[in-house]
Amino acid sequence: MTAHRLFERSFDSLPAIVAFTAGVFSSEGIDPSLRTVVDLAIEELFTNMVKYSTGSRADVRIEMTAIDRGVEVTLIDYDVDRFDVTARPDVDVNLPIEQRKPGGLGLHLIRRLLDSIQYEYTESSRQSRITFRKTGAVSQAADQNKGG
Amino acid sequence: MLTFDHAGPGTVVIKGRLDAAQAAAAQAFLDGVQGTVTLDCSGLEYISSAGLGVLLKTQKRLLASGGKLRLSKVSQHLRDIFSYSGFDQLFEIEPAQ
Repeated sequence: MTAHRLFERSFDSLPAIVAFTAGVFSSEGIDPSLRTVVDLAIEELFTNMVKYSTGSRADVRIEMTAIDRGVEVTLIDYDVDRFDVTARPDVDVNLPIEQRKPGGLGLHLIRRLLDSIQYEYTESSRQSRITFRKTGAVSQAADQNKGG
Repeated sequence: MLTFDHAGPGTVVIKGRLDAAQAAAAQAFLDGVQGTVTLDCSGLEYISSAGLGVLLKTQKRLLASGGKLRLSKVSQHLRDIFSYSGFDQLFEIEPAQ
């Protein structure tokens, strides 16, 4: 079953998003060890929408579905221009501190922590959809045991 | 929810979630610390890039005046975040026991 909710385009929505995520993890029996990474990915993607899609006043829709060993999450942003987060360049994390800037770190992080992330844009409805998946390492180990 | 408490000279205990909603308050607090400061992260449950930005800005300011920000009692999850961000090269990090 897919749970979904609309959230106002504001940083102030973050506590409600965290509560929504916690509720879905609990009701769907999703591995709680995945929550921190899922919360991080949702926050980074949602705050990007708030910061960069400033022309839209529409709420952002978040959908969560339990999948085998984890969760799939989709964020849908309405009435916006194309902004493909998956195409953004990586941050150089080896720069000396004088040259380091915080920008771009969120996307850099979630690319490394998620199983997959996909971006789709529909021109006709000016709709961005970002879908990511996160599954558990413990279950993957169990799968390896099954194979052995 | 995010709280800061002074726990003796040069030590600050941070508890809660350091996300985009809390970043401004966290920055306002850390803008007030001076010298070499140890940030006890044993109660820090979560950090996002907004929180990393707060730590980076604080570290730059303290280093410029001869101090620094040290991170102590850092959980495995937070160490992963710091490592992927390259922050393990910018901060002295003491793992949680």
